[in-house]
Parts: sequence; structure tokens; C-alpha cells
Amino acid sequence: MFSVAIALARREFIRFMRQPHRVIGTVAQPILFWLFLGSGFNSSFRAPGMEGVSYLEYFYPGVMLMMMLFASIFSSITIIEDRDAGFLQSVLVAPVSRMAIVLGKVMGGVSIAMVQTLIFTIAAPFLGLHLGLGSLLLLVISYVLASTGFAAMGFFFAWSMRSSSGFHAIMMVFLMPLWMLSGALFPVENAPMWLHAVMTVNPVAHALVLMRGPFYMEPLQLIENSRWLLALAVTILWGAAFLLGSMSRVEKREKGAALKV
Amino acid sequence: MIQIENLTHVYPASRKTPERTAIDNLSLTVDEGQFCILSGPNGSGKSSLFRILCGMSYPSAGSIRIAGHDLLKAPAKARAEMAVVFQSPAVDKHLSVAENLKLHADLYGIKGKDYAERLDEALAWTNLKDRLAEKVDILSGGLARQVELTKCLLTRPRLLLLDEPTTGLDPATRRAFVDALHRIQKGRKLTVLMTSHIFSEAEDADRVAIMRAGKLLANDSPQALRGQLGREMVVLQSRQTEALEARIQADLGLKTRRHGDEIRLEETDNGNSLPILEKLLERYRAEIDSIAIKQPSLEDVFIHLTGQTAADADAEGGK
Repeated sequence: MFSVAIALARREFIRFMRQPHRVIGTVAQPILFWLFLGSGFNSSFRAPGMEGVSYLEYFYPGVMLMMMLFASIFSSITIIEDRDAGFLQSVLVAPVSRMAIVLGKVMGGVSIAMVQTLIFTIAAPFLGLHLGLGSLLLLVISYVLASTGFAAMGFFFAWSMRSSSGFHAIMMVFLMPLWMLSGALFPVENAPMWLHAVMTVNPVAHALVLMRGPFYMEPLQLIENSRWLLALAVTILWGAAFLLGSMSRVEKREKGAALKV
Repeated sequence: MIQIENLTHVYPASRKTPERTAIDNLSLTVDEGQFCILSGPNGSGKSSLFRILCGMSYPSAGSIRIAGHDLLKAPAKARAEMAVVFQSPAVDKHLSVAENLKLHADLYGIKGKDYAERLDEALAWTNLKDRLAEKVDILSGGLARQVELTKCLLTRPRLLLLDEPTTGLDPATRRAFVDALHRIQKGRKLTVLMTSHIFSEAEDADRVAIMRAGKLLANDSPQALRGQLGREMVVLQSRQTEALEARIQADLGLKTRRHGDEIRLEETDNGNSLPILEKLLERYRAEIDSIAIKQPSLEDVFIHLTGQTAADADAEGGK
């Protein structure tokens, strides 16, 4: 199953690299967002309990999440393209497990997101954030978990879509708000009650906590921090749930109506 | 190799469309090593049957056995015996020929030395050997189809399913593809089931099955099918088809069949066609635009059975 998934993921990755516009778009857009919004809000930003944290720094993990979100959106759109072009048929007829089909796409999306976020991690020292080897390891783990969640969620929604414009709509009203209300743009603590409630159940908010952790705490502290462990559990659950959900969607075959006797 | 029994497929009703029966209690057997063409007007249920055969949808009722395996109960075993060429290209245009083939091999768990061997074998008949590094995107339509077929051969299937594989190819390329397919089929003793409504492709087939409205109308060798129409027929064209047809029936007591602006006298006995033609010309010279004696082709059989031409079927559209 894994060799098939890896073969499919490799295809995603090669395709991504062969489309320079996609590479530029997905890398440059979040960075521009970060630089423009970050610089603009820098002077007016004061987060409670985060004194001394500039907005550029606050927004930094949020931009990572944004990269993952975009990587997942783009790789989900390729599901619709594959179906349109016909490639998907040959995968569906092959004697491969349905999970391998899901994992292939998701791992492809994750690997693309990883390249981007790892490149972006280079910016950390310039923000005054220092990462030890242990923290870096935890950071990479949280990258993988968070982008798996995004990619699996994208897959889940894109599978039954027949047009990429329809998927854009879903993305704008569902995936983007999840990101906006994750605490990526502004801290959860200051938000009005209802918003606070939404942000508490939002898995992306937990993914953000998961990713922010390694920048500010030592690995040993993190492992004892219940808030971080909760975020870890929620993020794993989020990814797993959408992976399984996606699998059951792929499994579903079109069926003839039962005959009336 | 394929045994379809009492297959029925009904598309469930949705909010806007009522329930629709695509396949109606159809039984069809394709023997091992046969080259079978499945034809029928659009909307006859060919595509539905094809989707069911390759395991993409479950029928409402009936059974299908492929190489002895029950397709509906043990799909994995049945699928391992077959390879499918779809109408729309199932290769990734952004990848090179070699990458596409490798990916397909990976899907079927073929690797290493085994892969190298199978690759040589699968590529032997193609013009692709020097173009493996090129992206499929820049290949001609004919070569892109060769990639599809090569991909299928990698898995050494016993059954090859093809859904209108020559759509969009020019006549010469189409001919070359079908000829190659026949050579491969003979050489490897494959069973081939191919949907098509290009009748020149069907002439060399072992069997031609014709469907209409979800039912099987005929399933026989091309010779036998042509034999149904006699060895010759008279076809005439007129501007007043309806009136002329009525007069021919009344005056001469001949059985006719009208098709567009054509009147066909299909059941003429051997040697009888010429006298009939002369008689018709003598009586109705003024109304006849053209008249000819024809050897029935498979297209004529199709018209006879389904009441429409392949061109009509195309124009009708839909699925």
C-alpha cells in the first residue's frame, strides 16, 4: 500500500515542480502576505501576554499554516483535474487499496507544503527565534501533522466536486475561514465570546498552537505542557478523521438502483 | 473469458431526472482469445456496460464472470486479469512517457528486473522507443494512444477492455492502431472487448455485438451479420422518398425500408438485384436521384438492426 502511495505522491511532487508558476505562486503569496501585513500591523500590535512579540513574529507560524492551506488547496484541485483529464480512472481500476489513493494525494500535498515551510523556517533566526535540534524535530513533526490535516480535508471536499470553480467556492467559505479563525491573524484571547467559541473547536487553531510551541518552549517543557499535548491530540485526530472520511468517499461506487419486483 | 448473465442496470432517480434503465437483462459471452467489438447507438448502454465491466459501478442485478472470477464479489481477482484503455486519455500529460509507464508499473507492484523485461516486451510494437524521455503532452494523438496501450500491456493482462480507443484519431492512424491491436491480440492470445461505432474497425473482429436500448440485438461474426441482409441490396435515393416507397410497395409488392432519403430493398435474392434495379429505373426514372446495388457492410447491418446510421448515433449525442 505504501509503495503505491509513494509512487502517487512522487507524481504529485514532480508535477508541482514542473509548473514553475505554481511554485512561485504558492511560495511567494504567503511571504508577501507576511511581509505586507506583518510590517503594516507591526506598530499597532499588542497581544496580551505576548509583550515584546512583534506582529511579524506573531504572524510567522500563521503564514506557515497558510502555506499548508494553499498547498492542500492546490493539490486538492488536482483531484478534480485528474478526474477531468481521465488519469484518475486508471488509478481507480488498478488493484490498489483505496487508502493508497488517498495517501498518495495527501502525501503529495504534504511533501509540497514541507518544502515551502522548511524553506520559510530559515527566516526564524532573523526574528530572534532560536531552535535547538529537539525543537526543530518537534517542529517538523507538527508541520507534517498539520499539513496532513489540511490535505486530507481538502481531499475530502474535492472528491465529489466536478468543477474546480465549485471547489474555489468551498475553499473561500470554509477552508479560508478556518485559517482566519485559527489565531493566525490575531490572538484568540481578545476575540469576542462567540468567536472565541468557534476558535476553540477549530482544529486549525490547535494546529497553530502545536506549531507555535517549539519556537517558544524547550522540547521537555512541551511534552509536559497540557495545552500543547491537547493540540497534538486534536491535530492527529483531525488528520485521521479526514483520512478515513476520504477513504470511505473513494470506496463508494456508483450503484444501480434496486429493481422493483 | 467474459460471461455476462441477465445484467440489468438502472440509474437511480434524482431530483430532476426519473429512473432510467441503461442495461436491460443483457447476457453476453466473449470466449477466450476472441476479438469482440461492442457497438450500438449512443445511449444504447455501451458506456454503462463498460463502466460495470471495469468495476467502476455496480449493476442493479445480474452476474459477471471474468476469467472465472466473479467481478461483483471478488473484484480484485477479476481486475488483476484485465487492463483498460479509456476513451479519455488516462496518462498524465505532464509526465514523460517513461514516467507514466513507471507509475503504472508501481500501481501494479511491478518492479526491478521484472519491470525492465516487461517494458521491453510492451514497447516492442510501438514507435515510442526513442521518445521515452518526452512529455506525453507533446506526442501526437496516435503516439499518446500507443502509450496507453503499452501501459496496459505491462501488466500482462488476459483481457483487454477498450472504450472507443480511436476517437479523435485520423483514419490512417486509427487503422494503424487497430492493426497493431489485432497483431498484439493474436500474438499474446488476448481476449479483446472494444466499443466502437466505426464499422471499418469491426470488419476484422471475430465477433460483433450490437446493443440498442440496453438490450443485445445481435452477437455474431461480421460475415454472419452481413449474411442476415442477403448478399446484395438495392439502395435508391429520391426527393419524394415517402411517396415513392409507398408506390414501390403497392406496385411491385417488394419489401422496403426507408432510411432518411434512402429507400433500401434489403431482401433481394442473389442475382435478383439487377432485374429489380432495371424495373425500378424503368418505372420511376423521374423520381430517382441515384440508385445502386450494394454489398451489405456492417454499417448496413447496424442500420438494419438499430434503424439509424453511425452518424445519426453520433449526432444524437448523450450517453
